[in-house]
Amino acid sequence: MFILKIKCQRKTVKRESIDIYELYKGFTGRKILFIVVLLIVLPSMALVAILQGPASIGIKDAIFSLFHSSTLAHTIIWYLRLPRIVMAILVGIGLSFAGTVFQALLKNPLASPYTLGIASTAGFGAALGIVFNVGILSQYVIAGNAFLFAILSSFIILGVAKWKSSTPETMILAGIAIMYLFSSLTSLIQYQGSMEEVHEIVFWFFGSLSKVSWKEIAIASFMIILPLPILLKWSWDFNLLALGDESAKALGVKVEKTRIIGILLASLITSGAICFTGIIGFIGLVSPHIARMVMGGDHRFLLPASSLIGAILILMADTVSRTIWAPQVIPIGIVTSFIGVPFFFYLLIKRKREYW
Amino acid sequence: MKVFLIFILSTLYLFFGYLLASEAIVVTDSLGNHISVKLPVRRVVALTSDALETIRAIGAEDLVVGINKNIPKEPLFWPKLKGKPVVGNWMEPNYEALVQVKPDIIICYSRWGKGIEKKISPLGIKLVRLDFYKVNSLKRDVNTLSLLLGKEKEGGNFISWYQKYLNLIKERLKNIKYKPKVYIESYTPFHTDSMGSGGHEMCLLAGGNNIASSIPIPFPRVDPEWVLDKNPDIIIKAVSINGYELNNSTYLKKIKEEIINRPGWENIKAIKESRIYIITSDIWAGPRAIVGIMYMAKWFHPHYFKDLNPEDIHKEYLKKFHNLKYRGIYVYP
Amino acid sequence: MLNIKQLDFNYHNIKALEDIGLNLNRGEVLSLVGPNGSGKTTLLKCINRIVKPKKGSIFINGKDTSKMNSIELAKQIGYVPQATPSKFPMTVFDAVLMGRRPYISWRPTRNDLDIVAQILNVMNLKDMALRDFDQLSGGEKQKVLLARAFAQDPEILLLDEPTSNLDLRHQIEIMELISLMVKEKNISAIMAMHDLNLASRFSDRMVMLKSGRIFSIGNPHEVITSENIISVYGIDVQINKDNNYPYMLPVKVADERR
Repeated sequence: MFILKIKCQRKTVKRESIDIYELYKGFTGRKILFIVVLLIVLPSMALVAILQGPASIGIKDAIFSLFHSSTLAHTIIWYLRLPRIVMAILVGIGLSFAGTVFQALLKNPLASPYTLGIASTAGFGAALGIVFNVGILSQYVIAGNAFLFAILSSFIILGVAKWKSSTPETMILAGIAIMYLFSSLTSLIQYQGSMEEVHEIVFWFFGSLSKVSWKEIAIASFMIILPLPILLKWSWDFNLLALGDESAKALGVKVEKTRIIGILLASLITSGAICFTGIIGFIGLVSPHIARMVMGGDHRFLLPASSLIGAILILMADTVSRTIWAPQVIPIGIVTSFIGVPFFFYLLIKRKREYW
Repeated sequence: MKVFLIFILSTLYLFFGYLLASEAIVVTDSLGNHISVKLPVRRVVALTSDALETIRAIGAEDLVVGINKNIPKEPLFWPKLKGKPVVGNWMEPNYEALVQVKPDIIICYSRWGKGIEKKISPLGIKLVRLDFYKVNSLKRDVNTLSLLLGKEKEGGNFISWYQKYLNLIKERLKNIKYKPKVYIESYTPFHTDSMGSGGHEMCLLAGGNNIASSIPIPFPRVDPEWVLDKNPDIIIKAVSINGYELNNSTYLKKIKEEIINRPGWENIKAIKESRIYIITSDIWAGPRAIVGIMYMAKWFHPHYFKDLNPEDIHKEYLKKFHNLKYRGIYVYP
Repeated sequence: MLNIKQLDFNYHNIKALEDIGLNLNRGEVLSLVGPNGSGKTTLLKCINRIVKPKKGSIFINGKDTSKMNSIELAKQIGYVPQATPSKFPMTVFDAVLMGRRPYISWRPTRNDLDIVAQILNVMNLKDMALRDFDQLSGGEKQKVLLARAFAQDPEILLLDEPTSNLDLRHQIEIMELISLMVKEKNISAIMAMHDLNLASRFSDRMVMLKSGRIFSIGNPHEVITSENIISVYGIDVQINKDNNYPYMLPVKVADERR
């Protein structure tokens, strides 16, 4: 009887499969539309941000200064505001992208780019540079150290993974251990330092976009953008990892290899993002969630959407941080939480379903 | 008869003993609090270098029984004290070490280090908060210290010495119409000084116009673009390093270059005209601020101070109040 | 078409599987039965290369699986695990579409989507195609996992206790679906089962494992005997042969004899 039912359905399958197909396409179309909207919002916000600052520059002056390099407005826009804005976007993309990847690889919705201890090790490197002035790349001692030690933490994690086991739980525990160790070491350095050095270390941890120039942007974009296409290509594997290691393996995903290389690349992106700007928190954790609430868990769309959302959030935070109490600049790490949290709560309340 | 003699003697003994042992005075600290301290004070700990310097300036160096942890890093400036026990600093006092050196009073800043009183009062030690880093309150702080340590005469000498130079500067700047716009950066990049800080005060006394004076907090962090917009005539950068221990100006030069190379800053008037000066913390916002003010007055209004050499005043100070030979680098260029 | 020879697997120095050898033919449904810990799930995971056996070889259609890359293997073997809660949201359609992953490089083709749609239709899952996978009942989830394995277009289906935690209707429905697919597509299936009766009713052959070794292998009548069940499970049973498959009724726990 069951077989009879199958035979009858065969005839209508063609028509019905078209229905599902249309439904699915519509579903996908919505996701693409959302990303397009984000792609429009981001540059618009950037344009608005260009006009914000303690030195008031109107639209006419701004356009005029594009062509005349001798004006003060030109200097301010090209050498101070624009690098800030571009770096904000880069860091937003990097942290959110890495955050999404970490959440997929560690199968943990609470994962962020800093879960595996990168923030603490990078901070330690920066502190070394600030207090003892030891480290690599004499011109960029602080940034170079921060980067070096950030990568170091991922190597430690990967060492643990190869030696013991590469389950997410092991890696997260190792990350927590690293965080405590290097936080203590950083405190030790702070203890040795003078008041001003401690001050600078504390502010490094707050995050700052004030000191970026085009040269730093070039270096950072190299480290942030290069791994993106590789990780994007693995979107399907990230989707499958959500099913569990075993199911993913059964569907052809090389789970260990993907996890190890994925973490290495995502750590590279994170290190590139924070070595010049310090620790900017919350964005890497929350952008993937906001994106997921709107468009579900398909990483082919999730990764770009989450990156764009992160870029928008940081851009907003940066603009607020330098206009709300001008000419004072509130460190951006402080502002990102204030901007992100209400928005996040809004979505949390409005969503219609439990989703983890 | 015997009983009566014993009674008289013991009364006299108690009376004189009391007289000698417990003369106490009430002093006012930098916060305006009244603190009662038993005299004489024989053992002092200064948790801040500013206080320690003032103590030596009024000739009370031998009363110091414990030093803060930065002092051993400056052996040239503190030849006699560098071997004394270290008791932490104003951020993190080492209470155990303090108990061991048994001071009568401890001196630290008014603004920071809250909670030290609670910890030391059961030990019978008094905390007196004296800043020494604001010129306007320096006189009162020095007077209080002199009273406590029984060095009123020396304190008075010190005050009149620097007051002499302060008045000199004030007199010469009496009728100036023009004050240059100054951007002050103290220690950390993009942190400037505003109302309530020592640096701001020094700038005003030297006849400068601090571009940050309208910002409501004393040590704000500012947007680099704002500095460009204000286009200061002069940039002063204070670095936290002891000029006395320096042998060359490499470090100061590096600091200057970092500022000149900031993106977009080549357009600032101060940098275009090369009027950017680096100054070390010994002569910045402390008991020796008068030297720093003198340098600044010369930079702001060179015409009025052609005959004055701040180095001479500095030499005078070191010889007269610290018995030290002049050496080191304090400003760049 | 599936050959397993001399398979050994150790789990932390404990011999989980020892000297396993069996053959599977096209169109055949084979059940693995045995008490908890006898090695059923482990054996499935060895075939699938989710874990690596210590010794032994596995051949599918003459090809050594240890020489295949993971994508190739995923096109050969469709694995249906027990349903576990997922931490991230997914629609039913997406869940089944995952099964096409070995064939998709970036975008699923029209063909992939049609295959998924067809499977959803056949399995009566069409109406919940866009519902969240986590919100389904246990039976519905198991069906979706089965659908996913079908989407892989495999040669062999591996099922890990597909009927545990299911209600009666879903149990029979799943079993009938499996038999149907195996016959229609001329593939084979290995199921680890805890329910001996369901296993004997729907299998062509059975393998009974005890402590990691094969205790009995053959058709259901040969394997489901009261002697075997006493030896392996330690229970006295009554075997009912009224239908064309043996049906066992547990009576009581056997006295300690062996």
